[in-house]
Amino acid sequence: MKPLLEVRGLRKSYAGVHAVDDVSFAVVPGSITGLIGPNGSGKSTAIDCIAGFQKSDAGRVFLDGAEITGRAAHEVARAGLMRTFQTVRIYERLSLRDNLAIAAQQFDDAGWRDELLRTARYRRAVAAAEARARELIELVGLTRYAEAEAGILSYGQKKLVALAAALMPRPRIVVLDEPVAGVNPTRIRDVEAVLRQLNAAGETFLIVEHNVEFITNLCHHVIVLDQGRKLAEGTAAEIHADPRVLEAYLGIAPEADDAQRRGAA
Amino acid sequence: MKAIALLIAALAAGALPLLTDSNYILGIAVSAAIYTVAAAALNLIYGYTGLLSFAQLGFWGIGGYAAALTVMSFGGTFWQGLLWAALVNAALALAIGYPTLRTGRHAFVIVTLTFALLVNLIARDWVELTRGPLGIPGLPAPSVLGFEFHSTARFYWIAWGYAVLALGGLYALCSSRIGRTLVAIKQNEPLVRAQGISPMPYKLAAFAVSAAVTGTAGGIFAFHLRIIDPLFLDFYYMQTFLIMVIIGGAGSFWGVVAAGVALSALPEVLRFSTDFRMIIYGLVLVVAMLVMPNGIAGWLQQRRLARLRAALQ
Repeated sequence: MKPLLEVRGLRKSYAGVHAVDDVSFAVVPGSITGLIGPNGSGKSTAIDCIAGFQKSDAGRVFLDGAEITGRAAHEVARAGLMRTFQTVRIYERLSLRDNLAIAAQQFDDAGWRDELLRTARYRRAVAAAEARARELIELVGLTRYAEAEAGILSYGQKKLVALAAALMPRPRIVVLDEPVAGVNPTRIRDVEAVLRQLNAAGETFLIVEHNVEFITNLCHHVIVLDQGRKLAEGTAAEIHADPRVLEAYLGIAPEADDAQRRGAA
Repeated sequence: MKAIALLIAALAAGALPLLTDSNYILGIAVSAAIYTVAAAALNLIYGYTGLLSFAQLGFWGIGGYAAALTVMSFGGTFWQGLLWAALVNAALALAIGYPTLRTGRHAFVIVTLTFALLVNLIARDWVELTRGPLGIPGLPAPSVLGFEFHSTARFYWIAWGYAVLALGGLYALCSSRIGRTLVAIKQNEPLVRAQGISPMPYKLAAFAVSAAVTGTAGGIFAFHLRIIDPLFLDFYYMQTFLIMVIIGGAGSFWGVVAAGVALSALPEVLRFSTDFRMIIYGLVLVVAMLVMPNGIAGWLQQRRLARLRAALQ
């Protein structure tokens, strides 16, 4: 299948350290693709380069066949790639509803004249955004807080707001940077359910995560990064069975692991 | 409902010359109207967008000089002078803002402060244009179709009309999605970019609108004083606008308008004690800041939030 997001030979280094070193991968439309790796393996840097928050040194990025390499962050978003951030970013002093509404406003047809004159087109756009926001707030289970300032929410709830905001303009692909890091374990299951439901409705996700269980449960395809390089890729089961992955992740070879277990028994 | 209340408030303020013929009170009312507009303009760039601009003082001064020079040196009318005050300042704001807004917020503060000082210097030292410390006295009363605004009561209509127009326009801007986007830029700029919005045009537009509105206010105020000299660029004005924004609550439209009116009247109300007037004024400001560190609007907001939290518990 033609990939929705394609990354070819991405490179980024800081002062001689290769944070991302010749990484290539593809995300198939309608899939949930996972990007995992130990701390410092270059996941977040890769995401930042793809989404236009950092300039890559080399490599090309395509969204649905169109090249988005080196484009500014807001242009990448307009092209249909919405991202969330590892340390949760929301508008703390705005209501949940406004948090979501802002995320969609760049994508409707109301210009600044419509805004100032409150034309019918403006009112239509506002009403549409409100309806969509209500729907998504309900989906993530925060309806009773819809009018509240987002700052009063817990960390996990804020992550859900960030997720809902990323979905507002019906993007082609949503890139989630550690959506469940720091989220209470019972909540993680809720997030899983929400993502599955959205994916069933056709939404494509690229998820960067530390939580291996979460990725294994959810992803159709997993890419493993280690020290800036792609170490392995495949289905969750294939990744699980890959000795190189275990070595990189746990710092021990599977044989040593077995030996240790036998020793303990 | 809200619109009707605002309309009544605006009309009541406009009826002031019918209620009093005291030039003293009407003079304060002119200042209140003009200062409030300048504070609302500062609120747009500082309160909403989060960019502390000291350039407002420069815009205020350039507006005053532009209007005065249009009439006195270039043979234009007062109204043309105001138009120039707005245009020159908007253009300057774009020219300063475009390179400066790419850098951080701190750099913006420094550059705008330097700009204000530079304007002060020009007003004093470019004698051929500004007549330096002598200033330009004898600014004539504006007139339209033979109707002269020669008394304070009549001049008040100009200040009032401009305040209604400028505050109405700023309110339309601040309460639209554009205003909300400015607040979003202040709160979390990377997120704004991730949502497909380029912050630069918003910041530039806010700065230019703020400059044009402040400049026009300065132009009107110069003709109220009937003279313009380098004292028109005294830091007192910047400080007054900033205090109004902070006491009213940065980012709250009506909070700043209320503070603008109240703080224009306060030093005059305190005239019962000539010796301690400014000391009491200072004390009121200090106490206000201690009790309401986020201004009147911030204080009301805190109370609302506390109720909300209690309700959600």
